[in-house]
Amino acid sequence: MKMTDIEKRVGDFCLRIPELQLESGCIHGLIGGNGCGKTTLAKLMMGILTPDSGRIDREGLNEREITMTTQRPYLMHTSVYENLVYPLKLRGKKPREADVRPWLTRCGLWEKKDQYAGSLSGGERQKLSMIRAMIFKPKLIIVDETLSNLDPDSVELFEQWIREIQAQAAVTWVMISHQLSHICRMCDQIHFLSQGELAASGPARELLKNCGDERLKAFLERESLDLNVRGRKVD
Amino acid sequence: MNAIEQWINETFSNVGVLSSIQVTFQMAVCSTAISALLGIPLGLLLEKHQFPGKRIVVRVNRTLMGVPPVVIGLLVYMLLMRRGPLGAFRWLFTIKGMVLAQTLIITPIICGMVYSYAVRTAPAIRNFAVTMGASPMQTNRLMLREMKNEIYFAILSGFGRSISEVGAVMLVGGNIKGNTRTMTTAISLLKSQGIFTEGVALGLILLLMAFLLQCLADFFRKEEISVEND
Repeated sequence: MKMTDIEKRVGDFCLRIPELQLESGCIHGLIGGNGCGKTTLAKLMMGILTPDSGRIDREGLNEREITMTTQRPYLMHTSVYENLVYPLKLRGKKPREADVRPWLTRCGLWEKKDQYAGSLSGGERQKLSMIRAMIFKPKLIIVDETLSNLDPDSVELFEQWIREIQAQAAVTWVMISHQLSHICRMCDQIHFLSQGELAASGPARELLKNCGDERLKAFLERESLDLNVRGRKVD
Repeated sequence: MNAIEQWINETFSNVGVLSSIQVTFQMAVCSTAISALLGIPLGLLLEKHQFPGKRIVVRVNRTLMGVPPVVIGLLVYMLLMRRGPLGAFRWLFTIKGMVLAQTLIITPIICGMVYSYAVRTAPAIRNFAVTMGASPMQTNRLMLREMKNEIYFAILSGFGRSISEVGAVMLVGGNIKGNTRTMTTAISLLKSQGIFTEGVALGLILLLMAFLLQCLADFFRKEEISVEND
């Protein structure tokens, strides 16, 4: 996906992206402080918002091959199972229990498959939302802070899961997260947003070690400090 | 059945109770169905589309939600009277005329309720549908499915308003025994005759009807309720 000269105004806020190339088959990290435009950018990628100006080239990607999960995912007023198989049904597939079971079992939701989805806890909702996004095998998955409410074991589980999917099929991921450690572990490319502008963009290791942008430096220092205070050190 | 009919006729003097129940039900079902067919799509379209003057349309609809039924009754009476613009239809003092008046009263209620709920929930449902890759038709189906409880509630509110209405049906229907007399106009007649006990009894039948309707609706929702309570 390539975004060129994008401008999007939402109230007083304005997002400006001169150029952003998302290499396919990579895991991209979208970082930045609160209100810097990460979610707006994700919604533009998804097609939920349309840019005021500029061009988004999906490079042959069909709208049905892109999906997005959010921090507070929408769950339909039905059972966990029905929520999970919904994207399959939309594509005319008849879901078989044998195909669906491994997804629910792996994230510990099989026992709750007949439960009303609205009664799940915050973390369980996010797990369900993640597997619902992965089950129909889209080519681009945008994960907007969806793993933020999960315990470390669950985060690890999904990180492993994402790597497995990555190894099987070249899926492009856009991970939006405040958990710098998670971004550092997972992402090949990092894009840093500051006050609605794309301040830095490039390969993760390179950008995190030798970043020239002062705003990114300050952001990384702040986030690293925050993680160290909480007893976790970023490499 | 005859014994029950005889008992009801003896108990409720001679105001035509059985036919008033039938007329009430017929009028309420027809007007609610038409209002639902008009009000639900209108409420959803009003939420979905932005156009100049939308705020005014919403305010007008909210005003119409609270308009006194007798005003609508008068308006419909003037439309349907022999020299009125719709006089050729000869709907005055008929159930059709009463249904028209009721439809004008209930449609803004259903439309307003659906709109208010859609404003709060439809954007999230629509965004979700986009993320799942749903087509416009699949999105519309999802919207209706996700909002069905609120839509059901709006329809039930419309039906409740319809069976409890007096002013408009009195004006347009004329309270003709065995023809356009509804339960509420019958109660009004009983009150004017000073027959309070029978009026209250008829009111209780009205309540019972609403209760049975609620039970019927709950019966259809039972499966969903059991899933929600798991």
